[in-house]
Amino acid sequence: MKYYSSLLALAMIAACGTPEKPPVDGYKQTLVFSPGEESKITEAFLTLTDSSAIELKEGTYKFNNLSLVQLKHIRISGAGSGKTILDFSAQTQGGEGIRVAELKGFTISGMTIRESKGDLLKVNKSEDVVIRDVHAIWAVADSTSGGYGIYPVLCNNVLVEDCYAEGASDAGIYVGQSNKAIVRKSKAYKNVAGCEIENTTNAEVYDNEFYGNTAGFLVFDLPDLSQRGGQVKAYNNNIHDNNERNFAKSGSFGTTWGVGNAAPGCGIIIQATSDVEIYNNKIINNNSAAIALVSGFFVDAKAGEKINASYFPVSKNIYIHNNTIEMGAAFPEAAYKHHTGQILVGIEKAIGKRIPPIVYDGISTNVITQEKKINPDSICIQQPGENLFVNADGMNIGTPAWKPGTDMQPFICK
Amino acid sequence: MRIVIALAWIGMFATGCAQPAKHPVGFLDKLSDYGFFTGQLKELSPSPRVHPYELATPLFTDYTVKRRFIVLPEGNTMQYTDTGSLGFPDGTYLIKNFAYRDSLGKEVLLETRLLHKDVADGKWKVMNYKWNAEQTEAVKWVAGAQVPITLTDDSGNRIPTHYVIPNTNDCKRCHASGGTLIPIGPKARNVNYQGQLEKWAASGIIQGVPDASKRVPFPVWNDSVHFTVNERARAYLDVNCAHCHTKGGDADNTGLFLEYGQQAPARLGVLKGPVSAGNGAGGLDYDVVPGNPEASILHYRMNSNEPGTAMPELARTVTHREGVALIAEWIRQLPR
Repeated sequence: MKYYSSLLALAMIAACGTPEKPPVDGYKQTLVFSPGEESKITEAFLTLTDSSAIELKEGTYKFNNLSLVQLKHIRISGAGSGKTILDFSAQTQGGEGIRVAELKGFTISGMTIRESKGDLLKVNKSEDVVIRDVHAIWAVADSTSGGYGIYPVLCNNVLVEDCYAEGASDAGIYVGQSNKAIVRKSKAYKNVAGCEIENTTNAEVYDNEFYGNTAGFLVFDLPDLSQRGGQVKAYNNNIHDNNERNFAKSGSFGTTWGVGNAAPGCGIIIQATSDVEIYNNKIINNNSAAIALVSGFFVDAKAGEKINASYFPVSKNIYIHNNTIEMGAAFPEAAYKHHTGQILVGIEKAIGKRIPPIVYDGISTNVITQEKKINPDSICIQQPGENLFVNADGMNIGTPAWKPGTDMQPFICK
Repeated sequence: MRIVIALAWIGMFATGCAQPAKHPVGFLDKLSDYGFFTGQLKELSPSPRVHPYELATPLFTDYTVKRRFIVLPEGNTMQYTDTGSLGFPDGTYLIKNFAYRDSLGKEVLLETRLLHKDVADGKWKVMNYKWNAEQTEAVKWVAGAQVPITLTDDSGNRIPTHYVIPNTNDCKRCHASGGTLIPIGPKARNVNYQGQLEKWAASGIIQGVPDASKRVPFPVWNDSVHFTVNERARAYLDVNCAHCHTKGGDADNTGLFLEYGQQAPARLGVLKGPVSAGNGAGGLDYDVVPGNPEASILHYRMNSNEPGTAMPELARTVTHREGVALIAEWIRQLPR
């Protein structure tokens, strides 16, 4: 009987088109594929069962798109970024290259994904998501690129680490409407926004490098969405040389609301959100504003009409301290051609000296409450150096009464 | 004895291969295996427990002609519900056949989609069947396909396209609601059409149907005699968009919710900025600009066939010109 068993065991291994590894890391099965097996891989994604791992060997794979829906405990891994490459230039339908929805326990690691028509990796409504060593790339950074490279949205408990995003016409790494998110040890280059945390709570962004984008790092809340953001910390990041033109399709992402508003040359933009701490970052050579702090009113005079339980237009409880900030001597060329960039250029003209690194639109809750409180929104800045701050007097821009001021005193941490 | 054991082992191995389950429980390999239809399969002549139905306002799918059926398990009935899908007993199959009209106007079957309410767990499951060129059989088809066809639209125009048969995850995309799968089409209000409910009640296959006076008719999207532009447009948006564009749907993150009962203007997209539309927004500021369809992203995306821009994202490769015209008129008439 022993003899038969071993023969049969051999037969079993030979009979299976897909080699199977013994269970590891608690996955019930691991399916291993090589380049050329794209149709098998597509089918494996569609028929996958809970607690499965898929391993894609080194090489280039071509897909229309891939999707995973309503599963538990799934891992997709490659041989490493730059080694396992998934190319989606053949995409003919749908909004993204890889679409993941309603997974509980999802890990994707060790691959380069590139050239989808829409977003590259969208993870929607999932829990316990790990995205590690994934490079999301559009080789040509222009408005034909998809919106987001790495895009978890409506998720709970997300980790993005050792990732890289390039060429996105919105944000390279974007976490939206999620709770508990970490973005660390990642890089973003040549996107409109390097990294964006939007309507997301309890996010930490650290040990990253965001460079060569239009704007390096954004913390935004937008109206009409499922939740407010807040409790966002960004530290130990190197945010430098973000001075590129804004190539979001003219007006797309909303000229009113979206990343199309990001002026070329911004290091960090905080818009209409609360409880944000920015510290111990290097913010170097972002030559329009190192940190811009604005309200929803800055982009839409009617932002007040959008106030509800999931939106408040004024940024509150913003703590900026101990960052290393340097700016170049002049605005980047692209700032002069951009509508928000032109406002920053105008501020520099109005104050008659180089624009300070921290630009605050000065639109506080006083606008809503009709009061004249000093610093009603608890803006707190603790930074060494001179000529650090300008209050842009955002409510009066374009009127004869406009008078930007450089008095930081009310906003220095007490 | 040894031989018997060995054979048993072989049997185990043959089915216990490392491949993921290719044949989810409950779905047979061929459409004909079910015995839903009698005579020639392509005629789709229903067997006794297979009940045809029509919808007041259907989903647009590349001008395909659809034939829909409900299959109830022996001795079971449907339950009328005021909102949402009818109540279906465990074991129900919903069948939807898709055919295009070729250059001669002849109907050619492309795919048959099944929704099955599994008796094992009471949950809905999806499967697709792809028709062969000979039109003699449809076989189980998980992976989706692109089928080159030249279809004839409702005005007699011939349009070449690559019809897209969705894969089973695509099916789940529209049929998911808060993490489970549900039917979309056979909502009580949408089957409240051409006396179907009365007929079913009379033949005893549905219970709880209230008096006709208590049932509000759902607008027929192209019936301009009985329904206003607003009613028709809202019915069209509900059926074509709201399975995703609703709380708990696939497009939950957009905040654009297009259910028939939705009242909040911002939820309906009125002067609402896009969230993650990317290039899909076409350089426009708002989903809906009252009075100005050309400035409205909703209209722009329905009028596009580009991946990443086209809405709905799935199961449409050509523009529904009549549907787009209706939405344009609706936007034009919205109070400014």
